[in-house]
Amino acid sequence: MAEFSWASRSPLEQALVTGVHGARGVEAGILLTEIRNFDLIQVMARRGKGAELAKAAKARFGMAAPDTPKAVQTKDATLIWSGPDQFLVLSKDGKYAMNTLAPAFSGLASLSDQSHARALISISGAKVRTMLAKLLSLDLHPAVFQVGAAAATSIDHTSVTLWRGADQTDGRAVFNLLVFATFAESLWHTTLDAGAEYGIDIRYSEELA
Amino acid sequence: MRIVCPFCGERELGEFTYLGDAKPQRPAADASEDAVYDYVYLRDNIAGVMSEHWYHGGGCRSWLKITRNTLTHEISTVEPAAGAGAAKVGA
Ligand SMILES: [Zn+2]
Repeated sequence: MAEFSWASRSPLEQALVTGVHGARGVEAGILLTEIRNFDLIQVMARRGKGAELAKAAKARFGMAAPDTPKAVQTKDATLIWSGPDQFLVLSKDGKYAMNTLAPAFSGLASLSDQSHARALISISGAKVRTMLAKLLSLDLHPAVFQVGAAAATSIDHTSVTLWRGADQTDGRAVFNLLVFATFAESLWHTTLDAGAEYGIDIRYSEELA
Repeated sequence: MRIVCPFCGERELGEFTYLGDAKPQRPAADASEDAVYDYVYLRDNIAGVMSEHWYHGGGCRSWLKITRNTLTHEISTVEPAAGAGAAKVGA
């Protein structure tokens, strides 16, 4: 049998060009960062096992996984609501991977490794809400969509998982998006079009915010 | 038109897909051919309050059971359909 070695790479590797996009001569109103090399596990409760899974998750992560559209930060992972009785575990460096989580939730949940199936995009900047208002039908007003708020929604008919992360040190809001890898490039171009008039500072990072 | 998903909150119509009448119940395995024909093919065309299945595919991917007035589009109830969310079934 032939031997294969699989080199994982970002679904945005072709589309992402670092530097400034759109308006020049102004301070970029949008900071667009792709986060690479993360671990992402989808956890879905088995039928009738929601309460037991919640208990096991609390024991495992040291805090309850969100059961409403929210994202919570544990000491070494982000738990993001993705639907009723299901959540995503976002972490780095193999802290929460299939081989450790699957035994912990055995019989209670179905797990699916999404690490290379999604792209993670972080959006911030002075014009972030103005730009996202073109793409999302959600109310992102600071009083409504607070730090830790999450949503399963759509951008341009593409399903996304959205959540508001911790504010930057300058107090500005950060919005994180998970999108299916095969739709990432399309969403990326849509985002560039929506943000061009404000100027976009494009980067990529290996650090989870 | 907006639908208040019991899991996600108020969302625009574009996130949802319409399936149709939520009333028909699958007949028993030994049901008559007429009963099966009715279940598969025959639908009421209701002008007024109707029970419907909708799918929140652009959001939490849950099936919902919605009571809607087909004349006014007024939605009076929204609830998870059987099987939406593990905890809702057999819990
Ligand atoms: Zn929903």
